[in-house]
Amino acid sequence: MAYLTQPDYVKYVCSCGQLKPITSLYFCRHCLKIRCGFCICHEVDSHHCANCLENMPSSEARLKKNRCSSCFDCPSCFHTLSTRATMAAQRQAQDPAGGDAKVENKQTKKMYYLSCFNCRWTSRDVGIPDQSVASGGWPERTNPFLSRYNQLLDYYKAIAQQEKQEKLERERKKFAIRGKYITLTDKTGLTGAMARNIAGLPTSESGSSAAIASFTPSQASAEVDELPDDVYTKDVNLKQITSMSQRLASPEWQPSSVSRLHPLAKLLSIKRSQRCRVCDHNLTKPEYNPGSIKFKIELLAYYHVPEVKIISYETVKPGEKSALLLKLTNPTGHEMQIQLMQPEDLPPVEEREEPKSIEKSLEKSLNLEKDTSSYRAIERVAELGSSSRVTAPEATLTLAQRDDAAEYDDDAQQDTSDFILWRKSNKLALRLEVTTDAAATPGAPARAALALQYSYRNTVPPAPAAPQQAHHTLYTTLLLDLGVVSG
Amino acid sequence: MELQDTYYNKSEYVETASGNKVSRQTVLCGSQNIVLHGKVIVQSDAIIRGDLANVKTGRFCIISKGSVIRPPFKKFSKGVAFFPLQMGDHVFVGENTVVNAAVVGSYVYIGKNVVIGRRCVLKDCCMIEDNSVLAAETVVPSFARFSGSPARLVTNLPEAMPDLMTEFTKSYYQHFLPTTVN
Amino acid sequence: MSHNIKILPGATVCEDCTLEGDITIGGGTVIHPRVTIIAEGGPIIIAEYCIIEEYSTIIHKKSDNQEVPPKPLFIGAHNVFEVGCRLESPCGHIGESNVFECRSFVGVDVKVGSGCVIGASCNLTAPQTLADNTVIWGSEHHIREALEKQPSQLLQLDFLSKVMPNYHRLRKPNVHKRPPSARQSQESSPRP
Repeated sequence: MAYLTQPDYVKYVCSCGQLKPITSLYFCRHCLKIRCGFCICHEVDSHHCANCLENMPSSEARLKKNRCSSCFDCPSCFHTLSTRATMAAQRQAQDPAGGDAKVENKQTKKMYYLSCFNCRWTSRDVGIPDQSVASGGWPERTNPFLSRYNQLLDYYKAIAQQEKQEKLERERKKFAIRGKYITLTDKTGLTGAMARNIAGLPTSESGSSAAIASFTPSQASAEVDELPDDVYTKDVNLKQITSMSQRLASPEWQPSSVSRLHPLAKLLSIKRSQRCRVCDHNLTKPEYNPGSIKFKIELLAYYHVPEVKIISYETVKPGEKSALLLKLTNPTGHEMQIQLMQPEDLPPVEEREEPKSIEKSLEKSLNLEKDTSSYRAIERVAELGSSSRVTAPEATLTLAQRDDAAEYDDDAQQDTSDFILWRKSNKLALRLEVTTDAAATPGAPARAALALQYSYRNTVPPAPAAPQQAHHTLYTTLLLDLGVVSG
Repeated sequence: MELQDTYYNKSEYVETASGNKVSRQTVLCGSQNIVLHGKVIVQSDAIIRGDLANVKTGRFCIISKGSVIRPPFKKFSKGVAFFPLQMGDHVFVGENTVVNAAVVGSYVYIGKNVVIGRRCVLKDCCMIEDNSVLAAETVVPSFARFSGSPARLVTNLPEAMPDLMTEFTKSYYQHFLPTTVN
Repeated sequence: MSHNIKILPGATVCEDCTLEGDITIGGGTVIHPRVTIIAEGGPIIIAEYCIIEEYSTIIHKKSDNQEVPPKPLFIGAHNVFEVGCRLESPCGHIGESNVFECRSFVGVDVKVGSGCVIGASCNLTAPQTLADNTVIWGSEHHIREALEKQPSQLLQLDFLSKVMPNYHRLRKPNVHKRPPSARQSQESSPRP
């Protein structure tokens, strides 16, 4: 929790070189590497409205422009609008600002209107007639440029399709020349039309070319309406004019006066799953239910990598030694051996991560499932500009497995070792020494890098083909923030 | 950094059999309508309005100094009804915060000087930063971090939020110690 | 300081509040526990059907250029002071049907009309006059003009005045002790 209310004192180095707190890191059990939000794939699992928690299939979400059909945001302050009921017995007075509103009232009947509890805006302010049903039925406005917009959309879709097809054609030719094996198309006599069909492309090209041919580009015009004469002299009433953010919230209309503000349909939220880019395994996968906070797959570094916390530290002075108290926690269900190391003593990273074997990428490009070129991992080495060194004891520390019942046990055991402060089930407090460079400038942030070697028991059931070893020795580097170097 | 110990005056606090630690300097109105589910800390000058409607908290909740937990009301055509206020497990309510919510889920962190408007729904695993104002009837989704006035989503919370909150409230409870054992 | 607290019949005033100075509380008004009302600079008159919630503070501040006898701070009917709000006014006039939301602050030299809403955690410190139906909200103190007045809280008051006596020790109305002059100031209060 300290992670949310405090700055990140301890940062881990992700396999991509980013420095992040352990809570925002993931651990791929298949690559046995730490991953972070920057070096994994994010995928949309499902769309839902965060307000009414209604799930929406992605096709419907696209149709509704990723907006909820029953919830609205206030056009004035963007807070969620609430539906309020009134008993409408008599014809209510029509407000003069309302223009085209039709007041339709029968006898005593429950009528509903939208109201904002934050800025007290109501749908009556702009003359939207009250509704007789509690949800839905609010007038939908059509975009004044809808036809032109659709035209453009069709045009660019056609162009995109054409380019895709050309690319596909090129790829096919390339492989046809080079291939010395019989390809799938040769063997089965799959025709080009069928291949297109499999790839989900339209069977004929006539439709797309027609759209391109009939498209008329827009013309620039020098004729612009004159400004009204009183534009500089008229008093500005700020209560009547919309703010920039209010206008941009509805880009189709961009109302300039408050009386033209209309409720904004609420944007949908998503449930997202995350995937390791190297091995394509899921790192997180949430449950489908929008209200659920549980995950089907949750490979967080917090559950797999030993956690290091700073208990306290002495002020760091140049050229001097200071004490540092660290707490190590083993979050896994297996005993863990940990050894502290210097970051430069780490064994070099064995192999560059090859994203995909040749055959695999060939397969991929053929069925156009994914375009691997769009996400090439940027390799970087973390800058561990640390002025201080942590003296790492040689001994290997053994941390017991996580045991939820252990919290009811008695208090900490005192350990005999000189640098172990106490042990408590899967936790361990260490007293370490930090040596600071004599050249460290006072006032500069004091940082100390530290590496950990830890044993890890892989619990993934091994694949039948390649028997995996269950025990691994893994390494991680972390950077401790020890305040500033004092003078 | 690790949590430091918080000390309290032993004579000021009442500890119940279920481990609730409640200050004597609180205003618990209608205490028969207040259920604290164990290991809950209610600090001095906090007000819990059980007289308006039932207030239920889960386990390991922390209600800090000067905060007001107040069931919200809603107007109906025939009168006013106060809704019971439910709070999940592992909820932290910061100092001088006003909670008028209808539901506060589990693993929720509410900062200090926050105003939670009437009938807000705080889903499980969310966080409201210090000095924020949640306007009435706001729904705070899971894993959302809200901030500002009116509060809006600023960022998402890590997936491990339930464990982080559990650890935080448990260690807060463990570090909440009497000054002297006389 | 004279402690001259007048509670009119029908008012619900919890015992657990700090009331100091010359204070008149109108009928139907509900004052929750832990409310602080201090009339150090002159009398405070709270009209009918107000709700003053926990930790609200209303202070009639002393000022240097005070008139003698001091002008009362008059708080109109149907005002709602939500939890933790603070009103400091030397000789202000608060209209009717205003809502002072949670933890809002209204400083000296602020004149509040009727039907205004001072949003949660809003601080009004500069001298200003709020026109009727002004709504202030958010950290940037956006100002809107509401179309209609804030709805009255009569239904809530009904509920509170029924329920509160079951749970709280209340201060008894002491209307009979009230000198006739106080009643006059109550009735001749300005009403727009």
